[in-house]
Amino acid sequence: MNKKLLSGPYMIWMVGFTIIPLALIVYYGMTDRTGAFTLENILAIATAEHAKALWLSLGLSLIATVLCLLLAYPLAMILRSKGTGGGGFVVFIFILPMWMNFLLRTLAWQTLLEKGGVINGILSVLHLPPQNLINTPAAIILGMVYNFMPFMVLPIYNVLSKIDDNTINAAKDLGANSFQTFWHILLPLSVPGIISGINMVFVPALTTFVISNLLGGSKILLVGNVIEQEFTKGSNWHLGSGLSLVLMVFILISMALIAKYDKNGEGTTF
Amino acid sequence: MMKHTQKSLKQFVSNFYLVLILIFLYAPIMTMMVLSFNTSKSRTQWGGFTLSWYSQMLSDPKIVSALYNTLLIAFISALAACIIGTAAAIAIDSMKPVSRTIVLGITNIPMLNADIVTGISLMLAFIAFGISLGFKTILISHITFNIPYVILSVMPKLKQTSKSTYEAALDLGASPVYAFFKVVFPDIMPGVLSGFLLAFTMSLDDFIITHFTRGAGINTLSTLIYSQVRRGIQPSMYALSSVIFLTVLILLLITNYKPGEKEPVPGMAPSNPSGSSSSGSKGSLAERIQKGAMAIAAVAIVISVGWITIKKYSVSSSNELYVYNWGEYIDEEVISMFEEETGIHVTYDMFETNEEMYPVIEAGAVMYDVVCPSDYMIQKMMENDLLAEIDFNNIPNIDQINPIYMEMSKSFDPQNKYSVPYCWGTVGILYNTKRLNELGVSVPESWNDLWDPALSGEILMQDSVRDAFMVALKGLHYSMNTTELSQLQEAKQRLIDQKPLVQAYVIDQVRDKMIGGEAAVGVIYSGEMLYIQEEVENLGLDYQLEYIIPKEGTNLWLDSWVIPSNAANKENAEKWINFLCRPEIALRNFEYITYPTPNQGAFELLEPELQENKAIFPDINNLENSEVYRYLGDEDDAIYNALWKEVKSR
Amino acid sequence: MNQPLIDLQHISKSYDGTMVLDDLSLTVKENSFVTLLGPSGCGKTTTLRIIGGFESPDSGKVIFDGADITSLPPNKRSLNTVFQKYALFTHMTIAENIAFGLKIKNKTKAYIDGKIKYALKLVNLDGYEHRSVESLSGGQQQRIAIARAIVNEPRLLLLDEPLGALDLKLRQDMQYELIRLKNELGITFIYVTHDQEEALTMSDTIVVMNQGYIQQMGSPENIYNEPENAFVADFIGDSNIVPGIMLRDELVEIFGAKFTCVDKGFGTNRPVDVVIRPEDIDLVEPGHGTLSGIVTHLIFKGVHYEMEVTTPDGYEWLVHSTDLFPVGRQVDIHVDPFDIQIMNKPASEDEEAIGVNE
Repeated sequence: MNKKLLSGPYMIWMVGFTIIPLALIVYYGMTDRTGAFTLENILAIATAEHAKALWLSLGLSLIATVLCLLLAYPLAMILRSKGTGGGGFVVFIFILPMWMNFLLRTLAWQTLLEKGGVINGILSVLHLPPQNLINTPAAIILGMVYNFMPFMVLPIYNVLSKIDDNTINAAKDLGANSFQTFWHILLPLSVPGIISGINMVFVPALTTFVISNLLGGSKILLVGNVIEQEFTKGSNWHLGSGLSLVLMVFILISMALIAKYDKNGEGTTF
Repeated sequence: MMKHTQKSLKQFVSNFYLVLILIFLYAPIMTMMVLSFNTSKSRTQWGGFTLSWYSQMLSDPKIVSALYNTLLIAFISALAACIIGTAAAIAIDSMKPVSRTIVLGITNIPMLNADIVTGISLMLAFIAFGISLGFKTILISHITFNIPYVILSVMPKLKQTSKSTYEAALDLGASPVYAFFKVVFPDIMPGVLSGFLLAFTMSLDDFIITHFTRGAGINTLSTLIYSQVRRGIQPSMYALSSVIFLTVLILLLITNYKPGEKEPVPGMAPSNPSGSSSSGSKGSLAERIQKGAMAIAAVAIVISVGWITIKKYSVSSSNELYVYNWGEYIDEEVISMFEEETGIHVTYDMFETNEEMYPVIEAGAVMYDVVCPSDYMIQKMMENDLLAEIDFNNIPNIDQINPIYMEMSKSFDPQNKYSVPYCWGTVGILYNTKRLNELGVSVPESWNDLWDPALSGEILMQDSVRDAFMVALKGLHYSMNTTELSQLQEAKQRLIDQKPLVQAYVIDQVRDKMIGGEAAVGVIYSGEMLYIQEEVENLGLDYQLEYIIPKEGTNLWLDSWVIPSNAANKENAEKWINFLCRPEIALRNFEYITYPTPNQGAFELLEPELQENKAIFPDINNLENSEVYRYLGDEDDAIYNALWKEVKSR
Repeated sequence: MNQPLIDLQHISKSYDGTMVLDDLSLTVKENSFVTLLGPSGCGKTTTLRIIGGFESPDSGKVIFDGADITSLPPNKRSLNTVFQKYALFTHMTIAENIAFGLKIKNKTKAYIDGKIKYALKLVNLDGYEHRSVESLSGGQQQRIAIARAIVNEPRLLLLDEPLGALDLKLRQDMQYELIRLKNELGITFIYVTHDQEEALTMSDTIVVMNQGYIQQMGSPENIYNEPENAFVADFIGDSNIVPGIMLRDELVEIFGAKFTCVDKGFGTNRPVDVVIRPEDIDLVEPGHGTLSGIVTHLIFKGVHYEMEVTTPDGYEWLVHSTDLFPVGRQVDIHVDPFDIQIMNKPASEDEEAIGVNE
């Protein structure tokens, strides 16, 4: 009865600071400077430079997501096999870097990757030719993988660690070898975590503007950069909102995927 | 035996992998820590060991106030999120499945939505609601994105809590509120605490949402760092981050260290299969998080309370002056000197770009009394009636300004009515003599030398529309203020042609990258030269960095003080301007900023060696081809922006 | 035919220095129903997991049908396990769960479908093919777990406390169900439980374990009626374990009273432990029995009354009887000679736990 009233402040808050703001983006995205209705801002995504930025963002974030998944899954398996004592340890390891500011962490990669940076320093000690690492798409992908991998590891680890050992033993008992056990049991059971992880990596990677600025030398324009510049430099908020609406389509797809595969919220990151 | 070796091999591979990932995760952090002991500000040069950044970090008021804002926002937002979120979680838990699904769906929005969209949407909402951007808007935004973390941490705990304990408490005569706090709350406490810890961490680490919802003059550590990225990060930032990181690490280690702790033996308790033993460890995980959260919360509270007490002593006076200036564009001592002398209390805020400053003044959300924009922006503000005429009777020191610069100002302030010059400078090419030698390229003298294929990957360009187009337009002998579409198209094509040769488009990082020997040539603002030359000498580098103004002429820029038309303390603003025009004050500022001063009195106080340094004080009479940026109007600005976007997206 | 199916030879296993199994040897004959019975931590589940292949012993061998399978991984062993909490695959339907092992073995679809039908019928869940795991009750899930295991036609089925999570009534039903299944399938069961009633009801051989040692192995009747030591006597059913002195063959003195018994070979005047089951004590009118006392407690238990009779030495005898003797009544205790079980006293505390199978 009165328990429901407890959600009052939250409801008001969410309407005021989530729903209405999103509605405003829709409003700005669908109007021009005079306030008249237009679809121009949304269709602007089709112009050559915007479409290219979007494709590039999609491509890079997709690669980064796949890499995160490939790196994180074995890691989550290892952490699971480390057993019960590892739980707190895992969370620390992946949450701890967040206390070193996100921008500084990314800047540190600049120091590592630069021509005269740490990695090339190591290469030259080994008498290997220096590599051009910074200001490349690869550097941006690295930045994405670095910053967002915890969001892939934690949900997968959470789901995997909830799987009863006996479920795996049962599969082996029924004749499945290690690969079959992984393919038929572990993988399907960890789908909620994987989906949640993919979302937690793909969405921020798709929309980042900081990483491409810092590690891409601003040579590579991602859709996040375009939007950020429309708001802070170009000051065409209508265009920026229109492009944000296009991004929201991808975010909605993500949410739909989560709703479909992670009904019980098993794959929650934390 | 076979099985054993196989097992240990597997163990080895997985441990090896774990170590690799740890290196990947922590290498950047280690790098930052090492850099915090580096004497040189450059991130690529090791200038020797020092602890001075650690002592500096606490004496830098910008860093201290950013730290304070960051911790306070993180703490209050996490606390508020905990209260709202826990209440909501309890309500959601008792909802019917359908409404629960809907509410949880909404809860997911801030978590799944892109930060940039969340940030922008909140910014639009604050402006629509007429809430001026500042501390409270950041706080509201952080609470908004923190609530879901709390709800998602508390919900599982609520599900585990058996309803019967609550009912048992009621049965034993407890009131619902009492029963909740005595029976239910202790059960969900670990969830609330881990939610708090998460929210605190998320708030601390956030940059993007803060970036869009912060107002002028308020910085968190994130936004302060981002603003410094352009000018080069202060190493005291690394020092501060290292301290924060180590503090958290130590706190977590202390709270988690349990002497003689033994893991339960698997299989020892057959009636208690692995399933339930792992749930047992969940409990201890929650416990650990709980302890960590408590420790961190305690530290945060101590810091906040301590700070508020300190703040109480700094009394605000009614005699106010609101100053809005570029970051790192004044010797902070000068502000205190002004306050002491006049008894006026100064509120000093900073902006990073003209474009960022403009909407703030236009919206009048904060009423600044005196602002220091650049030439073309002054023109734009003037044309839009945002400026007040300055009463020069109140500024007797105006005669210290070399008339040449008053003349220069006329290109944007035709009658010298609105602005008083503060700093000026040129844009030119900085080059590394040794590197050019190695590449077999001669010293550049024209902008067009930046199109030399031999310099592939060795060029640093400015990452701003007007500066980039200036380089191309000047190279083509056009005006850098042109609005001829054909000329602009030509310039755009030039820039596109140049792009494969460019190493990076940056702003103030040109300085650090050139010092670090990352590139052979870079387009740079002249004001950085004094610092660059000093640094090259201090580091004992084996190359020289020289500055040249290309023969086609360049951008001559001027930053001047203006008074917004809505200024509430115009007289104080004039006192301020007059104070800054005093030669010894202008000298002080010059020594700090190192950008050329238009103040003749200050110039004459300089050592002759500096007066003749052409990199810092180019001969203004030899700059006949140079121009000052003019405001081109919204439409032409849009054309420039569109063309630049085309260049960037190639 | 009487060749052992499973032969555990000198198995030892320890975790982090804690000995869980110490030089354990055990033989299980084909087509028997063997129960490993013991309290938590006695090593019974570890024994089962070693047979299943989920743990490898530190030393010793596991012989299955004459072949050493000690280092064979579980998926290569022709035996199956029914896990304590069923361990069903929640992302699969019932049919997919049952088909899992068969699909791994690449059986034909027709074969698999036939097997699913057969198995579901066997566990009385026909028509449940397409249900999801979550939609089943605990008892139903348990049957599916059994069905999933038996479709693979294992020669040996390991059951790890399969009924532990079920309520009493369901547990009793499932006990009969398991006996029926065992008889229909004709395969060997090794069953782990800490519930002595379950063990007595279902098995044809019970292995009582404690602290990593086998305490006694035998038929239910044998274990119940002739416990070899105090631990077994105490663990299996209720019992009165009292100190006595074996005066000579077939005569024991308890609290000063002389009881005739059937045990021989303990020597003369030796201190022993005497076990008497509560239902074997007859309460008779004063003067008609061997030892006298007063009824101090009385509880109605349905099929019988549970009473406590305190004798002058202060010992409280537990008595089950269908005859009612109210509290405060003076009674005499009478025990038939063949209901008295004499055991050697352990020389020390430690000896209680030492293996008696050698």
